[in-house]
Amino acid sequence: MPAQRVDPPAGRADRGGGALRRHARLDPRAKILLVVIVSLAVMSPDGLIFTPAALALGVGLALVESAWRRAAALAGLGGVMWIGGWLAPLWLPGPLVLVTALACQFSIRFVASVGVAAHLVATTSPTGMSAALRAVHAPRAIAVTLAVMLRFFPVVAGEAAAVVDAMRLGGLARAGGLGRHPIRALERFAVPMVAASLRASEDLSASAILRGLGSRRRPTAMTPPRFGPADLAAGLVLAALAVLSLELRPLT
Amino acid sequence: MSDSTEAATTASSAKPRPPGPRLSARDLLNVAVFAVIFLVANWAIAMLGIISPVVWLMVTPLQIVVGAIPFMLFLTRVRRLGAVSLFGVVIALFYLLAGNSPLSSAVIAALGVVADLICQAGKYRSKWASIWAYTAFGMGFFTPFIPLFIDREAYFATSTWESMGADYVEAADKLLTTPLLSGLAVAIAIFGFAGGLIGSATLRKHFARAGLA
Repeated sequence: MPAQRVDPPAGRADRGGGALRRHARLDPRAKILLVVIVSLAVMSPDGLIFTPAALALGVGLALVESAWRRAAALAGLGGVMWIGGWLAPLWLPGPLVLVTALACQFSIRFVASVGVAAHLVATTSPTGMSAALRAVHAPRAIAVTLAVMLRFFPVVAGEAAAVVDAMRLGGLARAGGLGRHPIRALERFAVPMVAASLRASEDLSASAILRGLGSRRRPTAMTPPRFGPADLAAGLVLAALAVLSLELRPLT
Repeated sequence: MSDSTEAATTASSAKPRPPGPRLSARDLLNVAVFAVIFLVANWAIAMLGIISPVVWLMVTPLQIVVGAIPFMLFLTRVRRLGAVSLFGVVIALFYLLAGNSPLSSAVIAALGVVADLICQAGKYRSKWASIWAYTAFGMGFFTPFIPLFIDREAYFATSTWESMGADYVEAADKLLTTPLLSGLAVAIAIFGFAGGLIGSATLRKHFARAGLA
């Protein structure tokens, strides 16, 4: 019996609601493809040509899902790296500024690709990712692992942020302390972060196994992955941005 | 009733079954959990580079060392061939999505397989095999420099280098010589080995006591 398409319950994949966001929801396979294409484009030898377009795409995707903070952070980071990478060497020539400029020119590509990848992580539920990977016949080991990783990222990132906050409050996250006692500083960060993450993972693992994760039988999906108009629109936007980048090549 | 009791007795008196060839759901969960911890720890250390340029220079050695802690803890839970290889594959996939080159990602995945074979040689219970496995896997931090060995001219012909000017590229070309890069590879291997030792000591000092290792 074919699985019926059922609207997902209000949850992570549907958070925020809104007609625009529901219609703009991309198929997880399209999102994965988008991330791979953008990463390959910006990290190619002439990737800087595509970097402004990739940054704009990342900001646009964040705006569509109403992730205002991410949109602002991406635009801000891109702007700072543009100033550090291209304008600062013109204003203040010097070896340190030049090294910083090189680092900014390299890092801006990562900011652009991570911006698009953040959309995939933020808007794809582990079950959606699992169904999408099954649909493309990914090996079970990789499909299950990637789906679980998607679920664990916010948990572990939250624990790491809490540990860094606690270190800051205790005055332990200073550059001087790190320089004088790097091993001790690392121990103070890594040990509580790993221990807290593992404690959280025990409950989540038990829950996942009880729900049949990793089962040999092929599960059915409540929302089978299907390509729609939003995916076509995303493909057209991507093509338009690529053409625009190539046309504006002399400027970049 | 008696049948079930007999079956239960037989099951409890039987020797523990050796792990099968396929990775179980628990193995996959372990790979996923530790891969995420490894990636987040690396990312958090990379963010420390924002504090000052001095810290920025220390970031890569710190990343190698801090990555050893989740990796060594992960190895204490591995029983089957394939789990460490899968760890390498998913780490490589995430680096690929984050903008790493396909070549670097392929090398990271291959290093995962090498680490897995080293662990298997130690039957997944040898401390030294685990340390050498991390030394091999830690070489993944050298992968961004591999294009310099393969196609040096193409590496310096990119738009990033071109934008720095011909003099700068020439100076960088003279600086990034094969002996220097070889020295860098050796330094990364040493940091990987030191990371393995520190990770092993951290397991003994903290996680074994807490029952997590």
